[in-house]
Amino acid sequence: MPTEIIMPKVDMDMETGKIAAWHVQEGATVSKGDPIFDIETDKAAMEVEAPADGTLHHPVPEGADVAIGAPVGWLYAKGEAVGDPPAEKTPTPDVPAKAPDGEPETESPNARPAASGKETAADDDKPRATPKARKLARDAGIDLATLNGSGPHGRIQAADVAVLEDGPRHMLAPVGFKDEAGPLSVIRSKGGAGTPIVMIHGFANEAAAWSPIEAHLNERPLIRIELPCHGKSPRRRLTGFADLVSDIRRAFDDLDLQSAHLVGHSLGGAVALAIADTRASRVDSLTLIAPAGLGPDINGAVLDGIGRATRAESLGPWLRQLVADETVITDRYVRAAMMARRDPALRAAQRAMAETLFPDGTQSFDLRPALGRIAKPARIIWGKRDAIIDWRHALCAPGPVALHLFDGLGHLPHMEAPDAIGQCIAATL
Amino acid sequence: MNAQAGIEVREISYTQAIREAMDIALSEDERVILMGEDIGVYGGAFQVTGDLVDKYGTDRVMDTPISELGGAGVAVGAALTGLRPIFEFQFSDFATLAMEQIVNQAAKVRYMLGGAVSVPVVMRFPAGSGTGAAAQHSQSLEAWLGHVPGLKVVQPATPEDAKGLLLAALDDPDPVMIFEHKLLYKMKGQVPSGRYTTPIGKAMVRREGSHVTIVATAIMVHKALEAAKALEDDGIKAEVIDLRTIRPLDRDTVLESVRKTGRLLCVYEAVKTLGIGAEVSAMVAESDAFDFLDAPIVRLGGAESPIPYNPELEKAVVPQVPDIIEAARGLAKGRT
Repeated sequence: MPTEIIMPKVDMDMETGKIAAWHVQEGATVSKGDPIFDIETDKAAMEVEAPADGTLHHPVPEGADVAIGAPVGWLYAKGEAVGDPPAEKTPTPDVPAKAPDGEPETESPNARPAASGKETAADDDKPRATPKARKLARDAGIDLATLNGSGPHGRIQAADVAVLEDGPRHMLAPVGFKDEAGPLSVIRSKGGAGTPIVMIHGFANEAAAWSPIEAHLNERPLIRIELPCHGKSPRRRLTGFADLVSDIRRAFDDLDLQSAHLVGHSLGGAVALAIADTRASRVDSLTLIAPAGLGPDINGAVLDGIGRATRAESLGPWLRQLVADETVITDRYVRAAMMARRDPALRAAQRAMAETLFPDGTQSFDLRPALGRIAKPARIIWGKRDAIIDWRHALCAPGPVALHLFDGLGHLPHMEAPDAIGQCIAATL
Repeated sequence: MNAQAGIEVREISYTQAIREAMDIALSEDERVILMGEDIGVYGGAFQVTGDLVDKYGTDRVMDTPISELGGAGVAVGAALTGLRPIFEFQFSDFATLAMEQIVNQAAKVRYMLGGAVSVPVVMRFPAGSGTGAAAQHSQSLEAWLGHVPGLKVVQPATPEDAKGLLLAALDDPDPVMIFEHKLLYKMKGQVPSGRYTTPIGKAMVRREGSHVTIVATAIMVHKALEAAKALEDDGIKAEVIDLRTIRPLDRDTVLESVRKTGRLLCVYEAVKTLGIGAEVSAMVAESDAFDFLDAPIVRLGGAESPIPYNPELEKAVVPQVPDIIEAARGLAKGRT
């Protein structure tokens, strides 16, 4: 019997999911854990991994909406005969939509708001913890999801549940993370021709952040590099901005490109600028969206708030600071964003990174001299209602650098106005 | 230990301790008889009975024919008539031949007759590997008998316990099976003279520690103690529990230790699967001590294999000191 690949439920309100793209073709052999397709839920995209080893057959076409729990394809084991798609099993929703009237809602998600994020997750997303750690956390009223496990596979052990003497209210778990080796995560689009576009996302974001504008750019190959401590990249303890740049420069060098168009947002913009400065011969153009590094101040409260948030309720208000039009940040978007940030080690690593790069709400690095040296076509795109980094930092740009300043957009112009920003970039490449 | 006044503690071997216990029993209680193959003039396959036949005569130290089923049957019958027989198997492996008498008769008669009689028989089983005796003479089958209600099963690990548990077994109204690891026979240890008993069903903490509990049986107790010594250099304090009795299990001692250390390693020579370690692990998992576990339970047991004749392979199929050190270290450092 082939293994069903199921449309996963990654969001509380999700009833169907859309296959954004298959990473493998029908007939390709995959190993368990390989990313095999992307799904889109509202504004967030997510990779789904193969549930087993096997050969992919009968994949649902890209773009199709599929009910949660329904198969989107089958993995056939070696030697297994491939016939018609096997009959569908009845999907079993993991959360009943509504308890029948008159029946007590004993397991209502509302009864345990702190755990609501977890209940949407598959079994293996539950925190891995020893019985002793669970007991300590339970007794102290600590949410295991806020802890970082030092054991194998991130298992939370008793030592990870630090209990301070002044009681549960003030208990802060020693959230740590392990310094990991290995190359940064690089995600390439499938199609496109010509000089590729290398994209570097901003702090507390990941490669998927580019998806809103990709439709305008995907005539060229798109290569998205994920910052260390972000997305699928390893967690690293950075010593400073130079350390971050050398990490990403290594990833850029490993791409072995003759030339590239560099696009960076926020912190990723500062990194893109630093790379353009030191790899000028291989950078054809530079696009900086609300870049860091051009002035001293940054909104530390928002960085802190995002870093601290362990649930959608605390993440949402900070995410809404990133945009001019708060309605763009829907509850569903916030939950998907929290889902992407559910790994406590990732959050710990990002907080450490913010502490290093932006101590006391200050940008610890200055790239204005680098901007002055750029000899290739360069442009800066900024929303004039940016609450994170003041758009006026753009005014330091020397004459040859083009400024595109948008009224009514915040720190995420490419998300708030993807068409305008996408066209703006595409038109000048 | 429950000893009389005026005792003297000497260093004697495990074999001597057993013989001393039998000597005391024979001299104190005329109902006690010894039975077994070659235990008379020959002194026993492992020279445990030695010259007791000279002292007590062939009426009380009886050679039995080469039929374990027959010999065990006579011993069970003798116990039913009021005697206190100690029946020696040459190798515990031969218990397979006497299963009817052990499992269906000795363990059941008291129950079948509504408690009107009991079967106060003691059986001794030289067990375990390490003597180059190959697959049919090296097994550890104690868990087989530990599975049978109506029997008590003990595994003394020291000369002192070998004597104390044998005398306790003779005091017990029901059948008691004593598994003696063959490699322990020559081991020497401090043993009090005179009569004393070691309680059946009571484990012993051989070494105290706070980081990991090692529950071991028989020869593995000594390997665990050696490992614990080495672990101390790593700053790991291992608590070593000598289970001593596998039926009935001393639940309290094990659970108390696991509540303290949060980590459990079971070490036993018998084949790992369905062995005593499985029982101890399940006992902990089912108890309130579960909440104190800070790592998965680890079992080290014999390989899924007959015991090989080749001496190197023979060592390889049962847990050795380095295996215990590695497993305990992994547990204590949170790597398992």
